[in-house]
Amino acid sequence: MPLSGIRVADFTWVWAGPFCTLQLAHLGAEVIRVESAARPCVTRLLPPWAEGQPGLNRSGYFNQYNQGKYSIALDLKHPDALMVAKDLVRHCDIVCENFAAGVMERLGLGYEALRAIRPDIIMISMSGYGATGPEREYVSYGPAQVPLSGLSSLTGYRGYPPMHVGISYGDPTAGLHAAFAVLAALWHRQQTGEGQFIDLSQWETTIAVIPEAIIEYAWHGTQPERNGNRDPMMVPHGVFRCAGEQRWVAIAARDDVEWQRLAVTIGRPDLAEDPALATLAGRLSAVELIERAVEQWTSQRSPLEVTQALQAAGVAAFPCYDSRDLAEDEHLRAEGFFVELEHPEVGKKLHLGIPWKLCGSPCFVKRPAPLLGEHTDYVLREILNYDDRRIEGLRASGVLR
Amino acid sequence: MISAGPLQGLRIVECGGLVSAAYACKLFADLGAKVIKIEPPWGDPSRQRGPFPRGRPDPDASGLFIYLNCNKRGVVADLSQRSGQEFLCGLVREADLLIHNVPPSRIDRLGLNYEHLSRVNPKLIKVSITPFGIHGPLSAYEASDLILWAAGGLAYLNGAGPGSDDLPPLKPFGWQASVQGALNAAVAALGALFARRKLGRGQHVVVSVQQCVASILELTFEYYPYMGLVASRLGQKPIQPLDFFECRDGWIFVCCVEEHQWQQLVELMGHPDWADLEIFRDRLSRARNWDALKLLMQEWMAEQSVEELYHAGQARRIPLAPVSTMGDLLRSPHLSKRGFFAVVDQPIAGRTTLPGAPYRLSRTPWQLRRPAPRLGEHTSEVLRALNTGSVWDEATSEESSR
Repeated sequence: MPLSGIRVADFTWVWAGPFCTLQLAHLGAEVIRVESAARPCVTRLLPPWAEGQPGLNRSGYFNQYNQGKYSIALDLKHPDALMVAKDLVRHCDIVCENFAAGVMERLGLGYEALRAIRPDIIMISMSGYGATGPEREYVSYGPAQVPLSGLSSLTGYRGYPPMHVGISYGDPTAGLHAAFAVLAALWHRQQTGEGQFIDLSQWETTIAVIPEAIIEYAWHGTQPERNGNRDPMMVPHGVFRCAGEQRWVAIAARDDVEWQRLAVTIGRPDLAEDPALATLAGRLSAVELIERAVEQWTSQRSPLEVTQALQAAGVAAFPCYDSRDLAEDEHLRAEGFFVELEHPEVGKKLHLGIPWKLCGSPCFVKRPAPLLGEHTDYVLREILNYDDRRIEGLRASGVLR
Repeated sequence: MISAGPLQGLRIVECGGLVSAAYACKLFADLGAKVIKIEPPWGDPSRQRGPFPRGRPDPDASGLFIYLNCNKRGVVADLSQRSGQEFLCGLVREADLLIHNVPPSRIDRLGLNYEHLSRVNPKLIKVSITPFGIHGPLSAYEASDLILWAAGGLAYLNGAGPGSDDLPPLKPFGWQASVQGALNAAVAALGALFARRKLGRGQHVVVSVQQCVASILELTFEYYPYMGLVASRLGQKPIQPLDFFECRDGWIFVCCVEEHQWQQLVELMGHPDWADLEIFRDRLSRARNWDALKLLMQEWMAEQSVEELYHAGQARRIPLAPVSTMGDLLRSPHLSKRGFFAVVDQPIAGRTTLPGAPYRLSRTPWQLRRPAPRLGEHTSEVLRALNTGSVWDEATSEESSR
């Protein structure tokens, strides 16, 4: 795999950081999560639990986003842990962390300290607010990042309050930007031998994905109004009720031709022929009438019937999938998207895999998410070359928990 | 003095429209790669999207287009014509990457077939950002950003909460499915570049945006395989407070995940006794009794100023966050101290403020080297260079920008 031979010391936790190192694991890097039962990753403490039974190794949240990684149990608050952590970094190419600014320094694991023992190390700090600036030590949680970034003030139904987006969207967006930055730095290191430090602010990576609103304000002092699912250049463009309990379908007519086909498909040739609706401007001024006509048709059909009929006419449509729809979807199975590996505690459970394919040199998920500390001995013995006595000593003094 | 980015020397050809391929290539361009963007004679649709300075539509002044295409050269070619395809082959001959988001149904017609292009350049890595992949039965389905947000399972999770069953699932602002496709494509493309060092040849990389969206369902997807449950936007939140409140001058988001945060919040609100009430005893009870608690809190919040409450809360280690407007962001002392927003001098639009470096690499920084191209701005320059075999010997930004 592309990153075979590259090793990552992964001090991240919760979602943003582990999502970054998940990408590196997908590409074949040996990612070693440094964890501790003294302060387990939040995602090990949250449901869903396999068969409803709580347990540090039984969370679907953790097991989804830590596939393919290794785990060493190391209590970083213990005075003897620092030496082990530094030994690990000495054997790594990349260090990732997403604590608040200053935490790694206080642990003795700041960039300057790590560069002293491994000059070409690539280190990324991906805190909520970034490594500098007056609010750098503020507390940042995933759910608060979406409002903070401005995305909430832009998202919502027309005339309603600001809304969330359904997930802690700042986390994966930061995680993917971080993975790209780390890989770019690794590319540079392979050309020049130089490592470097990367400062990423989750706040900023989330603002990076709403540029048109920032530019509008900078030019005009206004921002786009919350406008539900509507679009200024596509009508209809929305999510429509279907037959059944909370079944919905998304539909987008991207141009005049698709509009004509849509109108015919929903049994309204009169609308297709109406010259007032032939142009985007005409449809924009009749958006409510059009949406009512569409929903009248969809509400008597299943999302699947609607989708098949519209797609057959070349119009973009798809059901609003829920997790069961995804898990049972024949198309996604044919794409080879799912991963079902044997996990020592939860057995074979369905997980989401890699959303891209390198057709000439396939990547795959090599192992299920690790148990907490599953690879402590492997890491200390095989990578750090510690002998049994040393390992037993560390264990006895409570470092390896 | 312009220092080199970490990806300097990489040569990238971009085609397609709107956001996904353009953002993926922007990530490369901003770190020093050379990108040539091919547009059809009628231009990338993002040129129609705006916003426009002074509200006057102009394909060379669209804000969305400018953001996505700074640091690139732009050429016009009609890939449905033989001459356009020959132009493409000329560019691809010495390129490292071709990143595109042309849907699978139009690949052959536009000369973008991988087997064909790899004969022109066996080291080429072709990255296809597709709606649904290329293997499964729905690969030919048509899509837009909204469609893929729904198909990946995210729309179902968002919208008005309990009691508002009549409001539909809701998309977020912008082009977020496309952004996720772009980020995954950029990561996979760099992966393929590392693979090329070992294999000595290029390959075809296929990104499914539907799968990219499904990859970020947080803890919700696994509820089904782990517990047989289906998450939806109508479910009660398991813990509270995690909610929006209207203050006297805007909105704030209150987030209390840990008990000590809640203790601090009730003290800040002047109601330390609330922490002792049985019905608000822990975060689960607060979620069960949220309707009552929210009313009590709302009364107090309505009197507060967002800015003061934000800093007062953070001083007590409560992760409060303002529901930022664009004005709040552009005026933020923190972002301003970090120098986050960048300014590009665009020929027609004028000075344009936009989001800047999403990451700061200490040795090889992110940078803006040139404005976004006018439609076809570099067509003749690139055509001439093709004839002399120097197409990637890019003129410096000083030479090409006025």
